[in-house]
Amino acid sequence: MCQNPHQQNLNPSHFEGSEEEKITASEVEHGFLPHIQGMKFFDPHMHMSSRTTDDYQALADAGVVALIEPAFWLGQPRTGLASFQDYFASLVGWERFRSSQFGIKHYCTIGLNSREANHEALAEQVMEILPLFLQKEGVVGVGEIGFDDQTAAEEKYYRAQLELAKEMGLPVQVHTPHRDKKKGTERSMAIALEHGLAPNMVIIDHNNEETCKSVLDQGFYAAFTIYPFTKMGNERMVEIVKQYGPTRIMVNSAADWGISDPLALPKTAALMKIKGIDEETIRQVTYQNALDAFAQSGQIQESDFIHGLEIDQSLKFNGNTVLRGGQAPRINKNSLIIR
Amino acid sequence: MHTSEFIYQVIKNQALETELRWIDQKSTSDLKGLSLAFVMCPRFISKSVISHSDSIFPGWSFQSWSLDRLVRVYFLSLMAEKSDDELAYIHQMNLLFDTAEMNEAVALYSAMPVLAYGEQWVLRATDAVRSNIGPVFDAIAFGNPYPAIHFSELAWNQLVLKCIFNDKPIHLIFGLMERNNAPLVQTLSDFAHERWAAGRRVPSQVWRLSSPFLTESLLTDIDYLLSHEDPKDILAGTLVLQESDFPGTQALKEKYGIKASAQTSWAPLETAEPIY
Repeated sequence: MCQNPHQQNLNPSHFEGSEEEKITASEVEHGFLPHIQGMKFFDPHMHMSSRTTDDYQALADAGVVALIEPAFWLGQPRTGLASFQDYFASLVGWERFRSSQFGIKHYCTIGLNSREANHEALAEQVMEILPLFLQKEGVVGVGEIGFDDQTAAEEKYYRAQLELAKEMGLPVQVHTPHRDKKKGTERSMAIALEHGLAPNMVIIDHNNEETCKSVLDQGFYAAFTIYPFTKMGNERMVEIVKQYGPTRIMVNSAADWGISDPLALPKTAALMKIKGIDEETIRQVTYQNALDAFAQSGQIQESDFIHGLEIDQSLKFNGNTVLRGGQAPRINKNSLIIR
Repeated sequence: MHTSEFIYQVIKNQALETELRWIDQKSTSDLKGLSLAFVMCPRFISKSVISHSDSIFPGWSFQSWSLDRLVRVYFLSLMAEKSDDELAYIHQMNLLFDTAEMNEAVALYSAMPVLAYGEQWVLRATDAVRSNIGPVFDAIAFGNPYPAIHFSELAWNQLVLKCIFNDKPIHLIFGLMERNNAPLVQTLSDFAHERWAAGRRVPSQVWRLSSPFLTESLLTDIDYLLSHEDPKDILAGTLVLQESDFPGTQALKEKYGIKASAQTSWAPLETAEPIY
């Protein structure tokens, strides 16, 4: 979350790539879908409220069958409790429904994000309504929480939410800071351990080459965000999987209101395939590990989505599917005529 | 028998022993405890489908509900029976409405006929009619007597029109013919004209609403139905002419050779007719 195109110039080494990579890139430029035929994906970090129906359509076409939407910062600070409450309610309500219209199972994590933890008066009120939302169906964790500026207030609410997660037996999705990432990541893990959370219940997000080893060595899940300019590129991701193998590693797009790519996960899978990583490893880092990590909440049934999103009985009436309200019938995007 | 006792008997036929134990343990709670149990239901109760079809009130049916939805409605019925403190009850119910996820919202609207202080929930119910979430709309519109009892004519007409607009089958609305009215039929005719202008159609069964309120201008709509080739529209036009005693129908009956019939049935048209 947070894109900064200017950073591209400050840190060019990651984006130059080898000759071979340039060839691969131009190959895939003309369509990555043939490389991932039959694969299914679980993207554990997507802010769909910020995305369009075109994205949902493209995700469904690319084989994304389930996703997790963490609660986050909306790009500007909220000024009252009601806007937090409505946002949380939309994650378990409208957005969940919208996703179902495209055959994609939508889960979410609920939490007070690090930026807004700095508004303490409001943060106190948000903490009061969190338990109610964390108990709801399909809420698979506390998230995304952690550090941004690494202030005392951020630490206070990070700790309080770790306690909530422990009490409710929920996994935690930890956002690691853009600035001073390495120290922030170590600090996030140390505090989680201090609060007695099992490392396998904590997903450390937005890792890179510098943080990965320590996260895995300590037994945490390591999530990698493929996000243009500010986070990981997928060529680097391939190298990480080659180096560390698939255990406890998961890839996500963190697609949001910034310049991001909702198809980052299937594209990365295609690149892994082209670069010779075996399909079972690809399956683990783009599907299974995310599923295993968040299924520890008891709120995910793979059977709900693995064979396509089966229309829930509650969505049917007298055998008729009555999804009409808000349903988006498939449209041909290339057609000039709009009916 | 209390409403809650009736619902409990239905649950008892369907629930596992472990599920019943959890329900029994929660059902003695106060308002706050009951609303927490309402939220936690899916963690302890399965989604098996209710086959029971008897009902405690006309128009209210559990048919095809999931068990966790029925158990949620059971907890709400217990809350209604503990609603002596009106302010506390309404406060707790508003909290449930304001924070509801999709399945909770469905349970809340399904339970409207058993909520205490019935008039209090009309604005919530019309919000559900405005909802674009299919299951939420269905929960208030179908198998639910609340709108027929509590909605104003304006709210009722919005319910029916929204149902038609979303291509959902209107025969599932309880009280459809009892609450039918001339302004609704006029709006329906305007709506059909818009659809026809766009090269679209309306589900044939909606014309059943016009039978008791035919006018000269509506007769031209019926003429339009009969003059086109869609067999469903032709059946609808025929049924309207047979049901109506409006004097102007005679000429159309002769034009299309329609004979009076003692028995008319809309059943063949009682389906969902998506326009896409």
